[in-house]
Formats: sequence, C-alpha cells, structure tokens
Amino acid sequence: MEDKTKPILELENLSKVYRTKRALFGDSGSDVIALNRISFKIFEGEIFGLVGESGSGKTTAGRLIVKLEKPAEGKIYLENADITGFKGKALRDFRRKVQMIFQDPYQSLNPQLSVLNTVSEPLTVHKIGNGKARQELVRQAMKSVGLSPPDDYLHRYPHQLSGGQRQRVAIARAMVLNPRFVVADEPTSMLDASISAQIFNILSEMREKLDLTILFITHSLAAARYLCDRIAVIYRGHLMEMGPAEEVIRNPKHPYTQALIDALPKFGDCGDVKHYGTLRRADSEAPEGAGCPFYPRCKVAHRTKCGTGMPRLEEISDSHLVACYYTMPGDETIPEGDACFYAT
Amino acid sequence: MALLEVENLNIGYRTRKGYLQAVAGVSFSLEEGKSLGFVGESGCGKTTIGMALMGLLPPNGMVTKGRILFEGQDLLTLSDSEMRSIRWKRIAMIFQAAMNAMNPVHRVEDQVAEAILAHDPDLGKSDAKKQVEGLFQLVGIPEARMRDYPHQYSGGMKQRAIIAMALACHPKLIIADEPTTALDVIVQDQILKETRKLQREFGISMIFISHDISIVADVCHDIGIMYAGQLVEYGSREEVFQSPCHPYTRALISSYPTLTGKKSRLTPISGETPNLINPPSGCRFCDRCPGAKTSCKTDPPAWEEVGPRHRALCQDFR
Repeated sequence: MEDKTKPILELENLSKVYRTKRALFGDSGSDVIALNRISFKIFEGEIFGLVGESGSGKTTAGRLIVKLEKPAEGKIYLENADITGFKGKALRDFRRKVQMIFQDPYQSLNPQLSVLNTVSEPLTVHKIGNGKARQELVRQAMKSVGLSPPDDYLHRYPHQLSGGQRQRVAIARAMVLNPRFVVADEPTSMLDASISAQIFNILSEMREKLDLTILFITHSLAAARYLCDRIAVIYRGHLMEMGPAEEVIRNPKHPYTQALIDALPKFGDCGDVKHYGTLRRADSEAPEGAGCPFYPRCKVAHRTKCGTGMPRLEEISDSHLVACYYTMPGDETIPEGDACFYAT
Repeated sequence: MALLEVENLNIGYRTRKGYLQAVAGVSFSLEEGKSLGFVGESGCGKTTIGMALMGLLPPNGMVTKGRILFEGQDLLTLSDSEMRSIRWKRIAMIFQAAMNAMNPVHRVEDQVAEAILAHDPDLGKSDAKKQVEGLFQLVGIPEARMRDYPHQYSGGMKQRAIIAMALACHPKLIIADEPTTALDVIVQDQILKETRKLQREFGISMIFISHDISIVADVCHDIGIMYAGQLVEYGSREEVFQSPCHPYTRALISSYPTLTGKKSRLTPISGETPNLINPPSGCRFCDRCPGAKTSCKTDPPAWEEVGPRHRALCQDFR
C-alpha cells in the first residue's frame, strides 16, 4: 500500500515455544520453537501474506495475534497499544476489533447452531443491538459474502451447506462485528479451486469496501501473489524474506524462497522459467540450532558462517528484506510470459 | 493395443436418498508407459473411477454398464479371486491420504514385505526383505529408517513408503489418487520427480487423479477433465491447457491464481454442481455455463472432435 505511515499491527521479536510432553519412559520432553523472534508491521488497509510450509509457524503467528495463545517473548501492538496485557474491557474491545477466519469450515462451525445463530453469536456476546437489529446486521453480513438472499440460508444448519457456503458463513461471522483487522488462516485449503477463487474475491472486496486490514496465512505463493500487497516468507519459525508480493515472487533473494519457487509445478507457456537450484539433499550432520534454519538444505550456504549464526533480516532494496548472508544476485527475474499453471 | 481401454463406464451408488450416478459414460484409453491425469473437483467421480479399476468399489457401489479392458481382458467379468491376482501384481494404487494408509502397529519394512509375500508366497522372508531394501533405495528412504514405525516417518517419507509398496510387485499400471495432496510443495516436487523417474525407468503406465490442474499438467501426457460424473474434455496436456474447449475446462483454468503473467481477476464458477441423484437430462454444466443456450438444458451434449485426439463434450464452445 502506498500509505506506509500508519501501521495497524506490529510484531516485535515475537517468540513462541511449545513444550512437548515428557515421555513416560525415556526422553524428558523438549522445547519446540514455533516462532523465533519475528518482527514485522502490517499497514492499514493492506492484505499481508504470511507464506510458509506446514510447521513453519505461520498459524502460530496468527493465533498469537488474535490472542488465542500467549507469546513466550515479544510484543504485539495493535494501533500502538500492547495487546499482551489486555484484560477486561480492553480485551473485549480487542476481541471486537480483531477476528479470525479458520482453515477448516467443516470444523469451525458449531453443527448445532443455525446460520442465523452462528453469525449473530458475536453480536450477542458483545451485546450489540436487540433481536431485530441483530438480524439486520446478520443479513447484511450474509449479503456481503454472497449468501443472498440471506433468508434462504438463515435457518439452515452447517450440514446442509457446501464447503464454500460454510466458509462464507465463517467469514460472515467474522465480519458481522465490523472488525478492523482479520486473520485469515488458509481459508481455502479445504475448498475446490473454483470455490477458492470466490473466497479470494470476497476477501479482496471486503478490504476495499470496509477499510479492513487482513493477514492472509497461506502455503501457496500463487494465492499470495493474487491477493496480497506484501508477503513474508517464513521457515521453521524464522522470517526469511519480506517485501512487495510481486517483487518477492519475481525476484526472490533468499535461497529458501527460490527453492520454493523451483518446486512449484510448472506448465504452459512460461517462457524459460529460471531455475535457481538452491536446494540440496538435507545434510544430516549439519549442526542444529544456532545457524540459519535452511542451512542444512541450502546449496549456497557457507559451512561455518551459516551453520553458526542466524543472519538478520536486512533491507536490500526498497522495502524488500532478506535474512541471508549470501543474498543471491537477482538480475534475472521470472520472465513476463503468459500465465502458466502453478500449484495452489 | 492400448494397455487399458475403458468403454462407456457407468458407476452408481445406492444411497439412502436414492440411486446416485457417480460416473456416466466415461471412455478413455491408456498406452503402455504413458500417464493420464483426471482432474476435477470433489464429487466429480474421479476417485470412483480409480476404485472401479482396482475392483474396490464399496458394497453400495456398482458398475452398471461398460467395459474395463486391461491387457485385452475385461476386468468386470473376472471373479473375486481372479481380480485378486491382478490387483497389486498388475494394477497397484497409491491411495489418497497416505498418512493413514499404513498400519500404525507394524514396522514399515514388514508392511511392504507383507505385500510382496502375499503375491509371491514361495519367496522367503529374508528375500522379501531384500527386495524391500531395494525398493526403499529406489524411492529414497535411508536404510537406517526401514525398521521404523509409520509414526516416526514424516509425511513425505510415508508417501515414499506407499510408493515403494505400490511398486513392490512390479505392476504395469499404477493409479495414484491425490498422491501429494497433504504434502508441502518442496516435498511434493521431490515425490513427483521420483514418480516420473520410476515410471520412465520401468515403463509403468500411470493414472493420476487430482483436483490440482498444475500437478496433473506437470506429470501427465494426457488429461481428462471431469465434471459431475462425466468426462467433459480429453486430450494431450498441451491441447487441453493451451486451447481448452469445454466451458468448464476454461472456467476451471481461469479460477486458478498463477505466479507469472498478468495478474487478472480470478473468475470463480458461480452456482453449484448438480445433484447426481437426479442428474439433469441436458448438459450437466449448463446452469453454470456463461454460453449456455436453451437447448443445452434439454439435449444431452455430444462429443466434438477438436483434434485427432482432442475432444470436448460440448458442441457450442466456439
């Protein structure tokens, strides 16, 4: 977004550690670092994409932001207020301003609640309006996600809806409070392609119309490119690269981002897609911990430097940040070409 | 002669709500050493076709019409025991959700050995284990991990073990149903490369079933697009993806976000798939088709030959 002056959300050195249970016999349990000192800002009105593979910590980041979990370290600021200590009224206000859309609409909706009850529940919880006003708000929210006429859906139950309809109900539930910030955690990974496109378009319309800021969590670079203004690539709890979506995808600098792009199935008239070849067979003898998390699989890495120290995220060009000692020269970009097919 | 020829296949399920026609009039053929991909959204019948080829339809499912000629032999006329001798030995399957396809209480090595021994009982246990070793090498599982249990494997490794199991009896045909759906892109890429290499090396024919056009486009020679139980377009991957004909194929392609090219607005397919318990008499896609005419609603669509091998179940796409 052009207006970079006003961050709405800011993460500062955010870390999260999960402790695995101590086994009855043998090992004494260990710590899994899901997020390791992550910092970024999300600006008002933008769609920010957090891209990573499973286990990268992307969902954990989302859950921390909506306060479903507590960080081990670090701060989260929403509109300049530190949310980690929120209690009472401040917490209730926060819950109204920040909403989440979950990955699996087959699990995130209560099977015993009708659509009307599902979507109006947040209004009841926050004591907004009376019965009639609530129904009106619910209707509006349903229309905004394309479930219209709303009366066809209000009295249905989740099992009477298709996957795409369920996810739209979940979005309506998030939108009915008119939030400022929404975390969308892989909202389309359970849906078919044609339905996913619908959800993408709904999110992008919401942003336009409602002046909303969205954190879009996804494993798909193509989806992130389509929807996001900026993206951050995360790997094993570390931010590897961050920048304007188009720039990061066309001109990736981090060997990991490059490996990700290499791995996408390609077909069609792509021209000569550059192959970076930065991935190698994992080196099982690589030391764990201190170094760059991608080091054991990185072809570019230097044994002592990358194996022992984690590079900092540094700006290499206008708002394009990379955490790598050996930022690859990137004069060659993915050629324009026609659209070809990539995995979603 | 083609290795596999399927003619006018019709498959239905008896359900509580009535008879559901899951696959209607599907015909295709597959040459030796080639790969064919079926793409379609959930409920289009692609997995049902795979299950029918394996003779593994659930009890409420049945083939009502058609022939499945495998090496010239109609699989539908075979008895259960005859089918058993073909299954896994001649036709193997990589099941969807490989994560759950293995028995958690047996070592991975033993499970693959079991598949080998079941089809070759004369083989000794140690010989079978030797074969497993070779297979695991082939798919890239380190020897040290052979005696692990499935839960000790990562998703990618489990998928590799499942592929090893499918290869165990040197089949002519492997059916891979969403083989990489739950995997990360880097692992997916490795598995797909591995599969292609093995396929070339052993001259195995493959049928890929997936909802993701990019995967199928990446690995298959021929593509079949399925919608609501019907094959709606069929041709080489170049033909189907560079000059898609059926409106559904076009709609499906333009609902995918891409990494290159111009960033245009995605066009979702509005509406919903028809109910297959009482399928519409005309074209099954006509309710969602931007170019539908009134006759589309009533008259069953006919095949249009676009090229020598490229056909589409729509005569009005031009």
